[in-house]
Amino acid sequence: MAVVEVEELARTYRTSTGILRRRTVEVEAVRGVSFEIAKGELFGLLGPNGAGKTTTIKMLITLLLPSSGTARVLGIDVARNPREVRRRIGYVFGGDRGLYERLSGLDNLRYFAELYGVAPHVQKLRIQELLDLVGLAGREKEKVEGYSRGMRQRLHIARGLLHDPEVVFLDEPTIGVDPVGARELRATIAGLTDAGKTVLLTTHYMFEADALCDRIAVIAQGRIVAEGTPQALKAGVGEGTVVEVEVYGIEDAVVERVRALDGVSNVGLEERDQKQVLVVQTLPGRELVHAILGLLGDSAVGRVSSREPTLEDAYVALVGE
Amino acid sequence: MTSVRVFFVGGLISFRALFGWLNPWVYIPSFLVAPIFQILLFVYIGRSAKLQSDSFYVIGNGLQYAAIPCLFAMANTIAGERNQQTLGYILITPARRLPLFLGRAIPVALNGFVVALFALVVGSAIVGTHIAASGYAPIAGVIVVSALACTGLGLINAAVGLVTRETAVLSNILFGGLLVLSGANVPVHDLPIVLRQISEGIPLTHGIAAARRLAAGSSFSSVLGLVGAEALIGLAYAAVGYLLIRGTETLSRRRATLERA
Amino acid sequence: MRILRVLAYGWLFRMKMLMRSSFNSWLGVLYPLFFATIAFFMFRSGASSKPLLYSSLGAAVMGIWSNTATPAGSALAQERWHGTLELEVAAPVHFALILLPLTIAMAAIGIYSMVATLLWGWIAFGIPLHITDPVAFVLAVPATVASIGALGFVLAVLFVRFRQAWALGNMLEYPVWLIAGFLVPLSLLPSWVRPISWLLAPTWGIRAIRGAALSGPSYGDIGMALAVGAAYVVLGILLVHRALHAARAKGTLSLT
Repeated sequence: MAVVEVEELARTYRTSTGILRRRTVEVEAVRGVSFEIAKGELFGLLGPNGAGKTTTIKMLITLLLPSSGTARVLGIDVARNPREVRRRIGYVFGGDRGLYERLSGLDNLRYFAELYGVAPHVQKLRIQELLDLVGLAGREKEKVEGYSRGMRQRLHIARGLLHDPEVVFLDEPTIGVDPVGARELRATIAGLTDAGKTVLLTTHYMFEADALCDRIAVIAQGRIVAEGTPQALKAGVGEGTVVEVEVYGIEDAVVERVRALDGVSNVGLEERDQKQVLVVQTLPGRELVHAILGLLGDSAVGRVSSREPTLEDAYVALVGE
Repeated sequence: MTSVRVFFVGGLISFRALFGWLNPWVYIPSFLVAPIFQILLFVYIGRSAKLQSDSFYVIGNGLQYAAIPCLFAMANTIAGERNQQTLGYILITPARRLPLFLGRAIPVALNGFVVALFALVVGSAIVGTHIAASGYAPIAGVIVVSALACTGLGLINAAVGLVTRETAVLSNILFGGLLVLSGANVPVHDLPIVLRQISEGIPLTHGIAAARRLAAGSSFSSVLGLVGAEALIGLAYAAVGYLLIRGTETLSRRRATLERA
Repeated sequence: MRILRVLAYGWLFRMKMLMRSSFNSWLGVLYPLFFATIAFFMFRSGASSKPLLYSSLGAAVMGIWSNTATPAGSALAQERWHGTLELEVAAPVHFALILLPLTIAMAAIGIYSMVATLLWGWIAFGIPLHITDPVAFVLAVPATVASIGALGFVLAVLFVRFRQAWALGNMLEYPVWLIAGFLVPLSLLPSWVRPISWLLAPTWGIRAIRGAALSGPSYGDIGMALAVGAAYVVLGILLVHRALHAARAKGTLSLT
């Protein structure tokens, strides 16, 4: 039995605008997603902001009722039996909020330990173990208001693991954390599955999904547009080449002409420092550098390179513009 | 003409934008229900202590409650802009400062007037006190002056709020002080001598005294002195408040403190 | 029992947080003192048949209500702002066990105000602090605090949908002072108000406290205060179910 089973899960939000003439706007945040996570898997939900990742995860952790579809965690229906689900799952989200600033890290953990029903005789030891795990040992007596972003994140993770949940849901856990701190956090996350837990991770960092996840589902605009191992997804675009051309101010019309070239599967324009980079994904076996440069004509051109596609390219191709 | 426009339009816009209290869920509880209960509370305490007449407390508390909008709104309008970080933008406009700040003060005082009038009329209806027919119009006039005087105090409150970042504490303390010292519930002559002096120098004291006489049937000319005193006090506070705000502005240009939230 | 642990620890942590906020400490103590001062002046000059301690105690308990009424309504909004509301809802413990310690802590902080008011009455107005039955007094005060906290719990749940909940809670400050008979004997109020007074826990609390201090019946009133408080808790729990369900259906748990 899969640990997490999601079938045609959907969620629509209704918001009203205006004071005198109230207009209701319906936003379909999640439009029928389905996936399964097996025990011990580290599953990634990858997508741009606004794709529906957080909404999906919130339905799974029982904070949000689905508009339609079903979801089961450890065989328990999340909508009908939330209490049972909550006992067995941990939830970690990114950002500064979610902690009591005026209390110490230790007090925050003790408070949530009580809420999550950690037996009193277990609490002290468990909290110490977790503080060691996330690298906050020695700083737990300080008030959270003095913690750095990275420390708060680590405290969040410790908090999410207090009751030793079987399934852990992580919502953009490394957002806003510096590169070194983020690397340490990822190592901790990877360690969770080693300990036998099942993990669902949402992120918009492709390299993070690539490095950590056993399987990834790419979600965009409320739908899953691809699913598979990172290798499989890369293979999806894997066989072509990516041509990168540095340009300095290029017209949209020219970009369109490149897109229209025979053998081009995707074109993107990236801003990098002072210049732009035209990223052209080509189908396998096609040599298009010459044609592309020809279209660029008189525009100033910098470096030109050709490389293997990465997961990032796959991702960009999948989520569109 | 620009100054006049700044005065009216700017004032109205900022009032709506910052105040947020025009939301009925805040306006009705805070400005319409609360003063009625304040009146009822002190009317009954007065009955329990067998002190003054009901009318004494109705008028006293009805007028005194104007302080709530005048103090809080004024502080919110100016200090609140600082929180939203729009104050800096406003101050770099070439608009002249006097109509700028006065424009914000007038809607505040107007609201104070409405609140006090409402409290007085509804309060006396519920409690059953009688106001001499000749007194209604002059009392309304007195309320206008008192509301303006409170707003003057509110300007000082706002100036302090610009510096201290926390406006609610001082606003509440000033309200409490006015409640005790303005003669709203405790006759001024019952206060210890030191407090009596303070009482003479704050808004509302003279206005409340004038309103009580008018309600009992005195003519407007007989309370002119009191009304004049109230107006003068209000003007003095407004002037001080205005200067303080300008001073804070200059200080902040030297020390870049205005934008700090 | 786990429920007691969660309640006790929750209360302890909330007290820690509230005591570290200077806004609460200063204004919470100072504000009711203004009203107490007026009451002291009025009763001292007036011809009331009750001893001054009667009004001093009444004024003292006013602070407990003030410290609960305004913040209770927006208690959940505060949690949302902290970002901790979601975590609490996602916890397997019943939400009432999270909210109740919070509102009881608010009421408990009011004890600072109570002590300050009694001291102020004694120092500035010479009102003697003679307590006839100290045991009953020591029981009556926490019972009053708990029952006022329970009322705050109901407010917190009732007003959860309102962004301006603080204004609604604030609006209830004066009415409860009046109707619970803190400064005015209930006999002076219109008779149709009486049943409303009986339904308010603070009414029983102040009766218990005054009874203990001025030699009158007290234990019965302590019991009533606790009973009414318990009724509030039950009501609050029922409302919490509906409120949380609505929040999960509309997706408003994390919005500020």
